[in-house]
Amino acid sequence: MADDNILGAVNDKKGLVLDPRTKLLLLFMISIFSWSSIGGSARVVILPVITLIPVVLLFLSRKWKGAFISAFLFLGVNIISYTDLNKFSGGIYYIILIMVGIFGRLMPCIIMAYYLVYTTTVSEFVAAMEKMHVPDKITIPFSVIFRFFPTVQEQMHFIKDAMDMRGIKIGGKHSSKYIEYRLIPLMICSVKTGDELSAASLTRCLGGPVKRTNVCKIGFGLPDYIIIFILIASVAASVIFKLV
Amino acid sequence: MIEFKNVSFSYNVDGNANGGGCLKNIDLKINRGETVVLAGESGCGKTTITRLINGLIPYYYEGMLTGDIIIDGKNSKNMSLYEISKNTGSVFQNPRSQFFNVDTDSELAFSCENQGMPVEEIKRRIKETVELFGVQRLMHRSIFDMSGGEKQIMACAAVSVADPDIIVLDEPSSNLDMKATAELKKCIRIWKSQKKTIIIAEHRLRYLSDIADRVLYIRDGRIENSFTFDELREKSFNELKTLGLRPVTDDQFIKPESIVSENRKKFTLRDFSFAYKRSAPALKIEECSVPFGEITAVIGNNGAGKSTFSRCLCGLVKKCKGVAEYDDNKLKRRDRLKKSFMVMQDVNNQLFTESVQDEVAISCDDEDNERVTEILRSLDLEELSDRHPASLSGGQKQRCAIACAIASNKEIMIFDEPTSGLDLRHMFEVADNIRYVKSDDRCILVISHDLELILSCCTYVVRLEKGEVIEHYPLDSEGIGRLVDFFEEPFRTSSSDVL
Repeated sequence: MADDNILGAVNDKKGLVLDPRTKLLLLFMISIFSWSSIGGSARVVILPVITLIPVVLLFLSRKWKGAFISAFLFLGVNIISYTDLNKFSGGIYYIILIMVGIFGRLMPCIIMAYYLVYTTTVSEFVAAMEKMHVPDKITIPFSVIFRFFPTVQEQMHFIKDAMDMRGIKIGGKHSSKYIEYRLIPLMICSVKTGDELSAASLTRCLGGPVKRTNVCKIGFGLPDYIIIFILIASVAASVIFKLV
Repeated sequence: MIEFKNVSFSYNVDGNANGGGCLKNIDLKINRGETVVLAGESGCGKTTITRLINGLIPYYYEGMLTGDIIIDGKNSKNMSLYEISKNTGSVFQNPRSQFFNVDTDSELAFSCENQGMPVEEIKRRIKETVELFGVQRLMHRSIFDMSGGEKQIMACAAVSVADPDIIVLDEPSSNLDMKATAELKKCIRIWKSQKKTIIIAEHRLRYLSDIADRVLYIRDGRIENSFTFDELREKSFNELKTLGLRPVTDDQFIKPESIVSENRKKFTLRDFSFAYKRSAPALKIEECSVPFGEITAVIGNNGAGKSTFSRCLCGLVKKCKGVAEYDDNKLKRRDRLKKSFMVMQDVNNQLFTESVQDEVAISCDDEDNERVTEILRSLDLEELSDRHPASLSGGQKQRCAIACAIASNKEIMIFDEPTSGLDLRHMFEVADNIRYVKSDDRCILVISHDLELILSCCTYVVRLEKGEVIEHYPLDSEGIGRLVDFFEEPFRTSSSDVL
């Protein structure tokens, strides 16, 4: 499985480390800014600035593959949305417009979520949720997501191999059922893994009546304050431009 | 310390004590500091006993439970799962699904964190455990880049950090190679020296023969007998076979009659090399010949390149430019992708459709119903043809995959760890399946850590180490000696390590 796989987050003390709470706030703000029309005329500046943050963060935390892909997507979407598309004829113009409209809004959220999942360890996430006094009943299921993506990815790999061997591919025979064939083994396996995983964590005392402790220390540092400052500034700017 | 008083259990809520894994009137006493092995065929109730001890029954898996289980003088009915778990550590069969965290550091701390221990105390314990188990090299790692063996050792270490008195292991070695099994044995040794009570449900008995105090033999939900390993060593192979137990010593296994033929046809692999980005080559085979029309075992420790080898051979790896030759045929990557089939370790990944019938039909070129029925009949699957593949047993799923391979006229068939975690009877069933597909125009390779499987169906052995073919030899009487030697070696070095 070693071929350019994105592995789950490990706290290797390399690169920039942010507090998980900052990451969650950033994800929240990016989603709001890219899906609403907040900001008015200041949007042209605010949106690129805050959607650039996760791209920069990926570089700083040395997730090279994700960083380059997201930088490429970021540039692509922004260049297209700032070029004058009127020279294209009607049909193509609308297709490009719709693509950029939807993808441009979705992309920043995906990049940020990717950054969140692949740079936060489960333990850090749980610690952050505890500091925010979120009950365990919400934290525990969410923390499983961090394990879920890499597990599914590993599984997809096997299933793809199996399909190649059976000659099932897009454009080949049975291509209409391609997605079904791909998902069924994945679902069967996910259910089984989930079941075993819950059993294992229960035998590790999860869900006891005592208050959990947490080995990993989290806390705000300078990078966190910088990002929070940028976010506050963007909100302030949008409010001011709305009033003016 | 652990006492079962007339315990019966069934997974059906209606109390009907039938079906796999149920228990009938179990009386059992395990003393403090004892190491007990639970043995018996799959579905005999071994796992159920381990679940009753670690509290997963009745608190996680539901069913009908009668009788009392007394742990340390307390009836488990009056304890919560949390209270039971505080003093019981569990290691499970599947190394992939027992980690809550993604990184090893957090996983070691996890159980103690849940018990609310002070952070300084947890850190001290982790440091101690890491030194005791010698797992420094596994710290700060993601579980997704660790091998199954490494994960299993990490699971043992995680259990040890919480320092429970009772440790329950449910088929811990079934996904491991010899080297990793030897490491696992070391962990069990450490626990034994700490006077912990250890309960192991296991098919492979060989590696436990000098640690465990007694073997409880379970059949159909009852404890039928209790053996010491000395008694098991005395038994003949046929006696073990009727019990359904795997052999305990090397000379106990009798190799069934199979003639190592002087095969005229050769299957030659040329220039099989492949490297993952920025790492040493995972596979570098310049030339290697194995007999065609025979069953060849591919052995080697984890990381030796066995799975890369099989993926390259199946033509799944685009960058591998090797050529396979036999007779006058030259198979390049794309030809091999069409001509080869791998029965995967987790067969679930390769069954896609809604019924066994459909599964085989999509593999045929012309989806000819008569041919499908014929193949199903020959593999004893005809009655199951309308069943959903996911509802079949492990052996049946495997036969279903084999049926697909036959239906699509594949000439190269690879079995990837087909018997991990199987008891003797099911192992023989797989060996029969493999022998069934053997024919003069097929090349069959079996990747396995299972000595008994190799002895019972293979006739040729290829050993890989660091991506290279180190040796290959026919499995005649001299070959058998070499093979057994390879499987025994890790245990010799490990027993000299441990004080």
